[in-house]
Amino acid sequence: MTGYIIQRLATGFVTLFGVAVIVFLIMRVLPGDAAVMMSGAGSGVVSEQEIAQVRHRLGIDRPLVVQFADWAGHVAVLDFGTSLRTGSPVIEDIARRFPYTLQIVVLAMIIAIGVGVPAGVLSSWLAGTWVDRTLQTVTIIGLAAPSFWVGLMIILGLVYFFQWSAPLFWEPFWVSPFKSMSQLIWPAISVGIRQLALIARMTRSIMREVLGEDYIRTARAKGLSEKRVVFRHALWNGALPIVTLIGFEVAALFGGLIVTETVFSVPGLGQYVVQSILDRDYPAAQGIVLVLAGIVVLGNLAVDLLYGLLDPRTRVQGAGA
Amino acid sequence: MSAKNRKQFTISRRAVLKTGAGYAAAAMLPSVAWAQTPKSGGTLLLSSGGDPPTLDMHQSATYLTEFIGSPVFSTLLRIDPNDINKLVPDLADKFEMSSDGKTVTFYLHKGAEFHNGMPVTADDVVFSLDRIRKPPAGIVSPRKGLLGSIKDVQAKDDLTVVVNLAEPQADFPFQVANPYNVIVPRKVVEPLDASGQGMKRTMVGSGPFKLAQAVDGQIYELVRNEKYFRKRAYLDKIQMFPMKGEVERASALQSGRIHGCFFFANEAVMEGLRKAPNVTAIRRPTPTFINLIPNVRMKPFDDIRVREAMSLAIDRSAFIKTVGPLAGAFYASTGLLLPDSPYNISMDEIKKFSGFDTIPGGGGDIEANRKHAMELLEQAGVPKGFKVVLLARGDIPAFRDSSIDIAAQFKTIGLDASVDVRDAGGFYTAETGGQFQVLAHSVAVSGSLPDQILGEGYTSFGGRNYGGWKDDSIDIAFRAQSAETNPEKRKELIKDFQRKFLKTYYQISLAWVGYAAAHAKSLKGWNALPDLYANMQMDNVWLDV
Repeated sequence: MTGYIIQRLATGFVTLFGVAVIVFLIMRVLPGDAAVMMSGAGSGVVSEQEIAQVRHRLGIDRPLVVQFADWAGHVAVLDFGTSLRTGSPVIEDIARRFPYTLQIVVLAMIIAIGVGVPAGVLSSWLAGTWVDRTLQTVTIIGLAAPSFWVGLMIILGLVYFFQWSAPLFWEPFWVSPFKSMSQLIWPAISVGIRQLALIARMTRSIMREVLGEDYIRTARAKGLSEKRVVFRHALWNGALPIVTLIGFEVAALFGGLIVTETVFSVPGLGQYVVQSILDRDYPAAQGIVLVLAGIVVLGNLAVDLLYGLLDPRTRVQGAGA
Repeated sequence: MSAKNRKQFTISRRAVLKTGAGYAAAAMLPSVAWAQTPKSGGTLLLSSGGDPPTLDMHQSATYLTEFIGSPVFSTLLRIDPNDINKLVPDLADKFEMSSDGKTVTFYLHKGAEFHNGMPVTADDVVFSLDRIRKPPAGIVSPRKGLLGSIKDVQAKDDLTVVVNLAEPQADFPFQVANPYNVIVPRKVVEPLDASGQGMKRTMVGSGPFKLAQAVDGQIYELVRNEKYFRKRAYLDKIQMFPMKGEVERASALQSGRIHGCFFFANEAVMEGLRKAPNVTAIRRPTPTFINLIPNVRMKPFDDIRVREAMSLAIDRSAFIKTVGPLAGAFYASTGLLLPDSPYNISMDEIKKFSGFDTIPGGGGDIEANRKHAMELLEQAGVPKGFKVVLLARGDIPAFRDSSIDIAAQFKTIGLDASVDVRDAGGFYTAETGGQFQVLAHSVAVSGSLPDQILGEGYTSFGGRNYGGWKDDSIDIAFRAQSAETNPEKRKELIKDFQRKFLKTYYQISLAWVGYAAAHAKSLKGWNALPDLYANMQMDNVWLDV
């Protein structure tokens, strides 16, 4: 098992190195560099010579290989550099914004799993009934509706019915957990609806398949209660693909909250990504993309390890791999 | 102090223009007569359009920095909160101008302190003015041109600063009053400049408020400076929240969660705010103008007939009707200066320049103009269906929507026009590198003076010369008006400059943008001047709650 984890981590590092190279190059290929943006190019009164001096100060006039080696060397010791826009260490900017994004992801997944799995089970259990058909329709709408639109509808609804609007200041969780959660519940719902629909449909599909298996018929023949058959035998055995899906969705959500955070003005990682790219803030954009890629890699590893817990057979295969 | 009494203590632009023969001005404190007695205390909640890219006022070119910095810093002189054409003291109690107009002496207020407790000295003023006009390596200064006439700055003693000008400049006292040209402490800023950062994340000023916290994406908080060298501010605190969406800002204001916000381009949002019972919504022309800029380094735009044809193609009234509600570009001017400027030429005169008879009230015939435009294109050898690409910045309506409208109007004279929309970085790289055919630029000038608008916007050296033209006669005409100290003579020279420039079609003026702000009726003591950067110190503002 340890060997397997080491092997996966090594693969993860290779992936992250690839991501680092790609994001570094993409930022350099984009027209307009950090010096142009920092020089207030919009004012139009900054000379090319001044911009060149800023480029020199930032070190972005050096050969690309030298710049990359310098950056990668610092990243290796978890020094992502200083944001050109905020003037703070990138790692501090990320640390300050990470809790907001994390809270939205956690809340969204609690909603998605807490409602999606029971809805999927119910739908498969009552397949073909009006309950199933209603749930199927609702989940299709949930999948089709873009999260930014859902977010806007939530904001409009809250404003219209409760005269609510997004808070001016988003309370950090460690200052006031309840207030923080109550503020972030709405963005969480707006992204959670899609995950909920996805999990519900996946659960239904898997449960339909599992409920037709021989061992389920055997369990019923043994006289076990339907509740025990469904939850203990069917759901447990069908959980593997659902866990896989949840793992992927959690990882994807970290990088996928850009629009929702913008709609609700949440100062999370999504907004940081957008602003860093627009400002050609190289250290910030490269740092945050690398962190998000790291979350995806670790998320996948966590899912693989969960496999072992849920299905001992994969543990044996993994150990032998 | 009554309004009548205040008048004699302020310095008008006209008075400054008369100073060539030696003038000493002892301007008095800005004071505003209110119908109600101002109340002290409270926290003013404001919102602007986002996070500032830097907190360094000298390096910034955006109101996002200026709105935070104005209450924190002091300038030598200050624009009168009630009249943009007058100055009142700030750090300098008074100034004197020599008889030849080449030496200006500023006498600093005794006892003024920076927020870190250090006294404000003449040496800090020398450092600040030099930092703006000759920034150290790695520090950028977008407004160095404003102080371009300075030969040197000297500290005569701790409280006296002598500025020697290379040539007289009538607008000079107003240039040092520009809200961005703040006085910073040498001992704090010099080491920061050496490190290459400047005051990116720090604000140490001597203004009515101190920076308490700056949290990117969240909040910018100022607290009252109890040791302010002038009358203490009324407010305890100012909190500014970066909100990008206009609808979101309007909603926050209407629901009473903030007291004021700035910059609304969209007229539909403004309409909603005007109808709100507890909100005052204002839109007025500001020194921001939308110009069509052909790249004269590129054929066929080096041909004046092609540029004139483009001017003839644009129905300016239709442009204002279409783009106005989207970008706030509602105003037309009969010259190159603000719509109500006394320096503009007359309607009869501007109508003689091709295409300008279509400004509202001009009564021009757009069909006849376009027919003439096609003749000019034919004479210039430009074939029908000639492809013209307008470079546009996608995130600002004044750029994007203007370009879309212009492209549609260009098609009426047989040009195959399209729009290349880019993000800010891509746009500015192509624009400053001259990699474009034509573009529409919303030019926001940092002041409404003739020297600021004409110097920055319409000279070959002023920094807005994106089209790459070179014409000594224009630059000479600009310098002549700038140095003229006789007000009537100068007025004529400014008009002459405009006549000269308008017939070149190097830049084709289309419309002026209206600055829009809105605030709760409980916010008192703030007056929106026709210069969006002025009067943002907030020391006269109070809350009637």
